[in-house]
Amino acid sequence: MRISKAALLVVIALTVPILVELRTVLAWVNVELTVLESAVLGMTMILAILIWALWPQNGRGDPSRSG
Amino acid sequence: MSNVYIDQFPAEAKVIRAAFYSSFLALALGGVFGIIQTLHRTDFLRFMDSVDYYTVLTAHGVFLVISFTIFFLVGIFTWAVTTSLDRGLEDIRFTWGWYSLMAIGITMTGVAILAGFTDAIDMSASVLFTFYAPLQAHPLFYLGLVLFVVGTWVAGVDWFRSWWAWKAENPDERIPLPTFMVLTTMLMWYIATLGVAAAILLFLLPWSLGLIETVNPLLTRTLFWFFGHPVVYFWLMPAYMMWYVMLPKFSGGKLFSDPLARVVFVLFLILSVPTGIHHQYLDPGIAEGFKFIAMTNTMFLLLPSLLTAFTVVASMEHGARQRGGEGYFGWLKALPWRDPVFTGMALAGLMFAAAGFSGMINAGMNINYLVHNTFWVVGHFHLTVGTAVALTFMAVTYWFLPQVTGKALWSRSVALGQVVVWFVGMTFMSNAMHRAGLLGVPRRTAEPQYEGFEFQAAVGSIGELDAQIALGGVLLTISLGMFFANVVGTALNGRSDDLPANEYAGALSGPDDAPLVLDNLKLWTAIAVVLVIFAYTFPLLSIIDRGGLFGPEVIPFPLTVESATTLGFALETAASTSFESAGEIATSALTAVMR
Repeated sequence: MRISKAALLVVIALTVPILVELRTVLAWVNVELTVLESAVLGMTMILAILIWALWPQNGRGDPSRSG
Repeated sequence: MSNVYIDQFPAEAKVIRAAFYSSFLALALGGVFGIIQTLHRTDFLRFMDSVDYYTVLTAHGVFLVISFTIFFLVGIFTWAVTTSLDRGLEDIRFTWGWYSLMAIGITMTGVAILAGFTDAIDMSASVLFTFYAPLQAHPLFYLGLVLFVVGTWVAGVDWFRSWWAWKAENPDERIPLPTFMVLTTMLMWYIATLGVAAAILLFLLPWSLGLIETVNPLLTRTLFWFFGHPVVYFWLMPAYMMWYVMLPKFSGGKLFSDPLARVVFVLFLILSVPTGIHHQYLDPGIAEGFKFIAMTNTMFLLLPSLLTAFTVVASMEHGARQRGGEGYFGWLKALPWRDPVFTGMALAGLMFAAAGFSGMINAGMNINYLVHNTFWVVGHFHLTVGTAVALTFMAVTYWFLPQVTGKALWSRSVALGQVVVWFVGMTFMSNAMHRAGLLGVPRRTAEPQYEGFEFQAAVGSIGELDAQIALGGVLLTISLGMFFANVVGTALNGRSDDLPANEYAGALSGPDDAPLVLDNLKLWTAIAVVLVIFAYTFPLLSIIDRGGLFGPEVIPFPLTVESATTLGFALETAASTSFESAGEIATSALTAVMR
């Protein structure tokens, strides 16, 4: 893992404010997402974060010094 | 003897425990009323009459922003003074005295509010946290508040006594930072509460007892906000104290600058009070010039918050680099995210940044008109007191509770989940509240969806915003459940010998680097008083000059549906009689002219 499980939890939590604000921001450029589309986008973002976090970094295991 | 707080100061630990448990009881009650009103207002679950919404809202506000926050902060202030001065309080009976005053006071206020749910007792206090006239509460409500506030005053005397005793023994020492923070906060509180004391003792209580016929609503309202804005800092300054003296420790490092922390608390002491009129931008009867002065003072208040953001983040970065963190942003990975105390405080601080931005909009006189009395404001204070303060207090509970009970925390994993769920829940709820406010959705009403009128949402719909608020409310309630599971689980645990020592963060730049004048509390208090005199003398004189000290005659509320109907009927009858008379006069005049 690239980051600790706890840090991963926090990163996933941080996607929530980004997602809810992104919906408003996109509306300014005439991209209006429905709730379902927003949810799908959120899931995609979380999936991408999970893949990034779980993918081994240069073959190393868990980060030893992260919290 | 171990270095845990309960072993160092067993008598004080008991008082802090009592204050914490009182605080948690208030949090539980306030939380229950919170979810009830959320589901009612958003129309997802309604099991009470909308008339009772105001009693629920009063209970939610008073239990959370008065009893939960203040009971908790007197606990951590007692810890801060005793730990940093390394001495017990002067007389523990005196300490139990102020705790009892606060407990009795809030019980009286609580009884007056909760009695509003039943017709069996002729008592109610559905006046909301702001208790504006002409809303009138039972005298017990005001008396309870008076006792509660007097309790906090006496608590301040207790902490000052400790400092004076310590100073006599250490005349050349600088005031330790945590004690400095407690003393400056209390000086601010003494000045701020003069407003609410005057409002209650001179006007609202005598009015409620029937000793005076009327009050001047604008005067009592202005006196409330004299106290009502600085009370926000009374909640926030203990949270700031935790960010300054605890967060660097949990990050693994030291506070970046002790002198900067002192500057911040001095700025809060002198700037917190002369700003209250910014809550009254839309009140008629206060000249625009006075409002402009209040806005200027408020904008200056951003300075200590921005200094805090810099100092706290710098301290966290220092801690992370001590733990091996590297790179421009890579150090963030080295922070102790597994520790719920750290993570909770960090997330609280992050949300406070968002609250600062919405606060600037509230403070701006012209742009405030757009959001005044809308749901936006509710979203704002759920980020400040509802997250920056409440989440910080819940997070540090996971460190303090073991310190004052001697028992290990029940579950760190549940604690970590709890702070994260709170963050997510509040994100959903406050975001939707802010957006609803921009559409003009009003606050303080059970029925925001007026018939025959549609709010036009720029993005999504009102229904979606309601769903987001309800989802947020449910997540916050789940988070509270997790918090209480941990509190109860910890209380039921056995005594542990494996607890961390009672200590707070050192500083990279210590007190010796701070100019001596920063510790001159008399000077800063005098400046604070002068600024208050400048900001409030002329507005108050003007309000009294226009509306009288006791105001014009007002109709006491609560105004019941029956009395409203009667009043409406009386007005209708009077109007039709007048029209008939006017018609008769006009007819006779016309007839006379035609002749």
